Amino acid sequence: MSINVFEKRALLLAVASVAVSLALIAYATWGMGINVPTCIPLGSKPFQQASVTRHDGLNYEVHYVARMWAFEPSVLRVPTGSTLDIYAVTKDVTHGFLIAGTNVNLMLVPGAVANGRVHFTKPGIYTIVCHEYCGRNHQNMNARIEVSDQIADYSVEGLPASEGAKLLDAKGCLACHTVDGSTGVGPTFKGAWGAQVQLADGSSRKLDAAFFLEKVRHPTELAVKNYPAVMPEIQLTDDEINEMEAYLEGLQK
Amino acid sequence: MELQKNLKRIILAELLVPLALFVFGAYHGVLQVLYLAGVIRANSFAGIDYYEGLTAHGVINAIVLTTFFAVAFGYTVIGQELKSHVSIAGAAISLVLMLSGAVMAAAMIFLGKASVLYTFYPPLMAHPLFYVGLVLFIVGSWVPMWTWIPVYLRWRKEHRGQKTPMGVVGIFAAFIVWQMATLPVAFEVLVQLLPWSLGWISGINVMLSRTLFWFFGHPLVYFWLLPTYVLYYTMLPKLAGGKLFSDFAGRFTFMALILLSCPLGLHHQFADPGISTTSKGIQGVLTLLVAIPSLLTAFTIAASLEHAARRRGGKGLFGWWNKLPYFSAENWMFPYLFCGLLIFLFGGITGIVNASYSMNNVVHNTAWVPAHFHLTVAGPIFLGILGGSLLIVTGLLKKPVVSGAMAMIVPYVWMTGTFIFSTGFFIGGLRGEPRRTNMGLTYMNPASPSYRPDWFVPAHLGMVGGCIMGLAVLLYFIVLIRSLAAKPVPAEAPFALPTSEPYHDEDVAAVRNFAPWVAAAVLLCAAAYYVPIANIVKFGVTTAPGFRPDSPAAVNTTH
Repeated sequence: MSINVFEKRALLLAVASVAVSLALIAYATWGMGINVPTCIPLGSKPFQQASVTRHDGLNYEVHYVARMWAFEPSVLRVPTGSTLDIYAVTKDVTHGFLIAGTNVNLMLVPGAVANGRVHFTKPGIYTIVCHEYCGRNHQNMNARIEVSDQIADYSVEGLPASEGAKLLDAKGCLACHTVDGSTGVGPTFKGAWGAQVQLADGSSRKLDAAFFLEKVRHPTELAVKNYPAVMPEIQLTDDEINEMEAYLEGLQK
Repeated sequence: MELQKNLKRIILAELLVPLALFVFGAYHGVLQVLYLAGVIRANSFAGIDYYEGLTAHGVINAIVLTTFFAVAFGYTVIGQELKSHVSIAGAAISLVLMLSGAVMAAAMIFLGKASVLYTFYPPLMAHPLFYVGLVLFIVGSWVPMWTWIPVYLRWRKEHRGQKTPMGVVGIFAAFIVWQMATLPVAFEVLVQLLPWSLGWISGINVMLSRTLFWFFGHPLVYFWLLPTYVLYYTMLPKLAGGKLFSDFAGRFTFMALILLSCPLGLHHQFADPGISTTSKGIQGVLTLLVAIPSLLTAFTIAASLEHAARRRGGKGLFGWWNKLPYFSAENWMFPYLFCGLLIFLFGGITGIVNASYSMNNVVHNTAWVPAHFHLTVAGPIFLGILGGSLLIVTGLLKKPVVSGAMAMIVPYVWMTGTFIFSTGFFIGGLRGEPRRTNMGLTYMNPASPSYRPDWFVPAHLGMVGGCIMGLAVLLYFIVLIRSLAAKPVPAEAPFALPTSEPYHDEDVAAVRNFAPWVAAAVLLCAAAYYVPIANIVKFGVTTAPGFRPDSPAAVNTTH
């Protein structure tokens, strides 16, 4: 017995409707230029610092850094008509990155850089939602982009004090002190600011601006308990010390 | 021929134990919509954390309940249709492995040691026993098919020239898909996650884990769906009072799903970095091809229902719709399948939206996604499981269904709830509402700077729908418990699932043999996955440390 004529037509209709859908998807992809994210070739390592760079006109390149449970930068203000080229990485687990109301919808996976582009034609407040479960405080993880007619250039909140980080690196501090909580020759900087430091002589001090300055000026006199007293004296200007302090303060969040 | 006595016991355990666990799964479903709407504004309720409950909801409902039903239903169909004895030892080993795995995973979840959701994405790290439980469960579910194969081969030898019974084709299709799909996820768990959670390796390639998971994650839904398709093709026409319109359509659909189930998991990773648009595009096209057997199924089932309705005296172009047994207490199983079909219509259409490549940008990982899959897994699949379990349990125990009228109402209540729930989630998703997020604390909290008033109405629609779904589950358990408590009624004939005859019994050789379809499926998987996996292995970062869900500090796994 051969296949029923109506069934043949139904099968033909099914094939035809799939073909039409595929043609429409092809048009959206190439005709309208709406694509999904692709591979970003990595030079060596993904960036670790969030940043905003203005290229020509209203074209911005924004580097987002996601971590449990915040985005850096947390607030970005740009003029209406801006185009943002977004690159985003995660420092810990997998996060989501959806700019609600736009076509930017990315997964941030450890070891890879996600990329999207958005053009804002309407002023408003756009929420960046982490839409991938990333732990207990996942529901707190969002940021916003404020698009406004009233401003001529961008401004930003929630970027780490990157000058301080560069200084710590340039002066060699990071050779012994980590910023991610792991152990090194000296105590980690992560979460250290404002906390009590146990000294080798049995006393304890709070890590604040005064102690930081003393420690930089007289490193071996203020040796920390359980760590070798090997820190060299480092020449720093007041400005440099202020930058470092601002960065270290940010590391406890 | 009657099923073996011990096999009956095993089947009953495979149906009733997961249904008992499902009480927790359903409870956490209802709790979740309360959290999402901001009715519960807390990290936890009654001692169970939101994400712990969410993990339980996903693992119990989507993995444990569905897989146990597939195994139990598979044994029932194979035993009945091939009229042969299957290996009781195999069935017992499978039951013990699956039960111990499920209990182990559930224990870790309820101890708060595995709040990693049912996708268990690394670098979130669960307790090693959670992963051990998953492996035992999966390996246990592999056993039945391998014990059915010799039974089937013997049947074929003794019945040369005869067509394999439709139900057997569907059950083998389900378990062939399951076997292909679970190998990569078993690799992910055994080679990556388990040694990593034990501290034997300090880092893993997260992109590889995700890709292996989704190699499994999408065929998983066809594995859920195929037993329900067996119900549609073999039982629904009979319950409607007619015959299956086309025998070919069923066989073609089952073979096509073997071919197309696996090489399309990347459509869950359209938004991922580290995979090229070419690889995503190829699997995007393959994904849409699944619409062909689905549309043919829609036609065949509708034609079968029309045939049945006309035999019942239905007239006219549309008038025959009135003649189907929608509200019959004796034929209470019909609405379980019929409502499932209605729900699936919308589940299918919205699934095409998710799968349509760049359109996924709008809805990926938003509330749209659970709205969609509650119209598939919590639609036809779940109703098939509820109805099928009640039918088989009462049939094997020779108990009456108390009452048929109440059993008949359950799918209508469920369907109403599901439609309201999903409408809310669809709207919320289009407005950017994230999926699986404890929104009551922030997005649905007017005191929070993150408050989103435009998500208020959708989240509350979701809550109303979810509560109605909870009511349907309550009604179902009242029926199930009353039926189990009822006195057995002696039956003349041994229990058998109602089975339809074909109306058009076509003979198409191409759909009568599994081997070419399985071989083509393996080749297609290799072709679709070779390039992305090779690139991920070659260029991927392999050093991601683990994180517990409650701390941003990496787990120090090197002892």
